[in-house]
Amino acid sequence: MVDFSRVQKELQECNKDINVSGISVNPKSDNLSNLIGTITGPVGTPYEGGTFKIDIDLPGGYPFEPPKMKFATKVWHPNISSQSGAICLDILKDQWSPALTIKTALLSIQALLSAPAPDDPQDAVVAQQYLKDYQTFANTARYWTESFAKTSSAGVEEKVGKLAEMGFPEALVRTTLEAVGGDENLALEKLLSG
Amino acid sequence: MDVISNSKDANKKKRVNRSAKLKQSKLDVRREQWLSQVKNKGSKEENKGGVGAKVPVSDMHEGNEGGRGVAIAKLVISAVGEENENEGLLMSDWDSPSNSPTSNMSCSLASNMSNRSVINFAGSSCRSSTSSSGGCGCFYSDMTEEDDGDDGCLDDWEAIADALAAEDVKNECENKTDENENENGVEMSFESETERVKEGVVEDREKVNCRAWRPDDAYRPQGLPNLLKQNSFPMNSDRHYGGGTVWGFKNVGMSLAPLTCPICCEDLDLTDSSFLPCPCGYRLCLFCYKRIFEDNGRCPGCRKQYEQPDQGNANAALKLARSYSMIPRR
Repeated sequence: MVDFSRVQKELQECNKDINVSGISVNPKSDNLSNLIGTITGPVGTPYEGGTFKIDIDLPGGYPFEPPKMKFATKVWHPNISSQSGAICLDILKDQWSPALTIKTALLSIQALLSAPAPDDPQDAVVAQQYLKDYQTFANTARYWTESFAKTSSAGVEEKVGKLAEMGFPEALVRTTLEAVGGDENLALEKLLSG
Repeated sequence: MDVISNSKDANKKKRVNRSAKLKQSKLDVRREQWLSQVKNKGSKEENKGGVGAKVPVSDMHEGNEGGRGVAIAKLVISAVGEENENEGLLMSDWDSPSNSPTSNMSCSLASNMSNRSVINFAGSSCRSSTSSSGGCGCFYSDMTEEDDGDDGCLDDWEAIADALAAEDVKNECENKTDENENENGVEMSFESETERVKEGVVEDREKVNCRAWRPDDAYRPQGLPNLLKQNSFPMNSDRHYGGGTVWGFKNVGMSLAPLTCPICCEDLDLTDSSFLPCPCGYRLCLFCYKRIFEDNGRCPGCRKQYEQPDQGNANAALKLARSYSMIPRR
């Protein structure tokens, strides 16, 4: 049975300084064992400007057992599965401590976004790309952020539609957009130059 | 020969209160037991004075059936010789508060007589009882003038015996503490505290006739330990585990402990807040500790393995916590 008094308190604490931390936790259903956390992409990384949703599942033994967390938003990151959103982070597994909270776990995930550990990957393809061709990795990650983690800006489909209207083939527009990280103007320049 | 006859006279006077005196000598023996224990430890400090009067005093204590009051009477008489009536009053006074510290009596002597040897003696015995109160001399000389009736003596004796009985219990507690930890400083300060409490008891009989210093008493010395604290201190030693340690532990623990358990967010009770399972200082309630200990047994604060409670300091902390938790419920 989840210790709901603690979860309740954690939610209150976390949502107090939501503007400062950029981290919020909200119940998904009314039983408080399914939560949705959101973190912002760290500044200076390919994830900057994105808002990432994280599925939180509290096991019965919480806080003595770690919360189960995975990305609900697609992320291009060596330690996060690009397919399932599973997170490879020690404090969510054997290094969990009951002194940690949902908020500190989310903060750790945010730190993981700015400091990937490709030597201990969750997604081998992404890790390979990170090690061999960082620039491509960064572009892809930016594109994914742009495509999946930004709710306010125009969607990728909209940009593809715009560029396709200019006369470029749609498949080329997609790959170009992905290569430059989703930036419409950069993609246009690249399409024009080559 | 004069000396002996004088002291015999004094003894006759005292035998008026024979029954009181018997009890009193019992009390004296008990008091001497723990005083000699203290002296063994504090003797270095006392000998610094260089007067050397302490050793004969204690010798006489052992030899004399009457105890302190008589011993001092003999010493003073041998030094001064024939005295006026005032001294007789003094003697009757000594008889009654012979449970009170030596320093007080000799201070009163010093204020009444100007004989140099007596003053020396007063100085040395002041040191020997490790009393630090300065104003006791005038106070006791006042009391001497007032107090000359036998009935007064008896009341006196009852009040002091009560106080002393209570203190004997305390001393037992203290002895237990000493067995646990041989800290000289702690003991000495404890003793001076009890001395001061005794003064308080004596003076109080004069004023209120029922209690020690009241907290709002203007005459209450600054150095007197807080009576409220003392009252909350358990008086019977059965459930008592290392009195001084618990006291100190309480002060440290209360100031540092969080109000709620960081794991389960429940309020920490006094047992929990004095519970320190890990050297890193991370505190949690006993329920969460048990849960963690049965699981992986690592401290949530530093991830180090908790020590086994059988030999480790966790158990000691538990014991401390338990004994301490008894205190506020009294």
